Amino acid sequence: MKLSGLKYLAGQGIENIWKNKMMAFATFCVLLISLLLVGISVLFYVNMNSMILGLGSQNEIAVYLDPDTPKDVVSTFSDRLYEIENVERVEYISKEQAYARMQSQITKGQAIFSYIDGYDFMPDGFSVTVWNIDTIELTTEDIANLEYVQNASSSTQVAEFLRELRQVVTLIAGAIIIALAAVSMIMISNTTKASVFSRREEIQIMKYVGATNAFIRTPFFVEGLVTGFFAGAGAFFITWAVYKAVYRIMHEQGALMNAFGIGSLIPFENIRVTVAVSYLAVGALVGAIGSVVSTRRHLDV
Amino acid sequence: MVELKNVSVTYSSGVDALNNVSLKINDGDFAFVVGSSGAGKSTMIKLLLKEIDATSGSVTVNGYDLGKLKQRSIPEFRRTLGFVFQDFRLISSMTVYENIAFVLRVIDAPPKYIKKRVPYVISLVGLQSKSDSYPDELSGGEMQRVAIARALVNDPQLIIADEPTGNIDPELSYEIVELLKGINDQGTTILMVTHEHDLVRHFGGRIINITDGEIVFDEVITGINDEVTEEELEQFEEQQALSEPVPVSTEDAMIDEVIARINAQNHTDQGGY
Repeated sequence: MKLSGLKYLAGQGIENIWKNKMMAFATFCVLLISLLLVGISVLFYVNMNSMILGLGSQNEIAVYLDPDTPKDVVSTFSDRLYEIENVERVEYISKEQAYARMQSQITKGQAIFSYIDGYDFMPDGFSVTVWNIDTIELTTEDIANLEYVQNASSSTQVAEFLRELRQVVTLIAGAIIIALAAVSMIMISNTTKASVFSRREEIQIMKYVGATNAFIRTPFFVEGLVTGFFAGAGAFFITWAVYKAVYRIMHEQGALMNAFGIGSLIPFENIRVTVAVSYLAVGALVGAIGSVVSTRRHLDV
Repeated sequence: MVELKNVSVTYSSGVDALNNVSLKINDGDFAFVVGSSGAGKSTMIKLLLKEIDATSGSVTVNGYDLGKLKQRSIPEFRRTLGFVFQDFRLISSMTVYENIAFVLRVIDAPPKYIKKRVPYVISLVGLQSKSDSYPDELSGGEMQRVAIARALVNDPQLIIADEPTGNIDPELSYEIVELLKGINDQGTTILMVTHEHDLVRHFGGRIINITDGEIVFDEVITGINDEVTEEELEQFEEQQALSEPVPVSTEDAMIDEVIARINAQNHTDQGGY
């Protein structure tokens, strides 16, 4: 096909939106609602996951070195820990800090400390947090196997609980997202079908004058693409506003945020581009494909 | 050229719509296809448009053997035809100009050619002032003229007109057939399906009568507009009224009989054009 032909067909697609504005508006609304339903569910899940991970990151591995570990080894030991894949953060707990912590924990029988001379007997320690709570057990083992490590321990119960919680959340959220996506596809398919049905005669006339299927479908493709793109843009701006509002409300809940970790909620700025591109691409694609697929049954004349 | 050889069409419901029909319409012919409702006219049109396939026999239109025509070649075949439908079938969202230009866009004609050709065709059907109007702003006669212009614009070898006067005033019907006749004079083959016998009588030409899926009459007659004056017709009808009634089974058969008699009376040559 020549460029002039393509230009004409693309122009027809845009023009058709205006000419069939009621049906185009219906398609736009259905696409917008569908995108919002699925998009917000995905964002909810992503944040939920992040919050659970935030909870998990507070679960640490306590690492104790042999008391007679050479000083130069202690000073570079955090580097060795960082070499382990899952290690996110390493905090050095000096003998002095460990002694102070022990003192604060033993409230009764403080007298015992009067018999202790200095804190040299305390081991040097590290508090290690991990990226992935699910593999904390393996990471603990890896750390325990390092030279000079007397003991490395973590609470596997918490890790286990959080892992299960995440699995349940993923399962439920996944099911909801799939169900919403399916409902959306049905709604979109019905709307585009209705939109195309109202123009079936137009399609038949085109067939009678010798138009190929591609020639007939191209304007419908462009029409669906543009409508879907605008629905994607609309969904993005609505999501932005809703997300910002929820984010602000959540941040105002200081106690809640402390429990999950301040950084657990993902700021919109961090995901803005991904959300925008996803909405626009999915909107345009679903709009275009829905429109083209719906023309199929009317092309057989 | 249109050629049907021993064509039968049986629908899945078991109805025999056409029964062993053979027919040849040469290039440049003008043929009326007449017959009552359910006689098989629409089935014939569908066959010629490759909307349906013959159950048996062969259909050739403009050199395309429709029985062997592949699905993807149908658009190419249809571009050699022009259609005029009873209900006009104009795209309501397009102007007169766009409805006609669309046919040329389908064949990827250069924009310059479209700009030249479409106004010319619009002028042929006398609708220059309506070029930018939408179909719902036109009268029935005007819409049918647009449909004819659309059928004409890509210079087809054959125009199939299915009851083109069915939805318009009787006086405009003559105008439409005149227009088709004029197109035929330029060499385009025209096949017009109609049940308006007055028109057939008036214009004459090749008449193909289909009854119960079979061709019962296929002759060339002379139109009364050419050979018979109104006075002569009245005289003929008076004579008919006085003579014994002709035993007829259907209205069509009676009209065919009358047409044949008019022709016989005028001693016209029935051998061809």
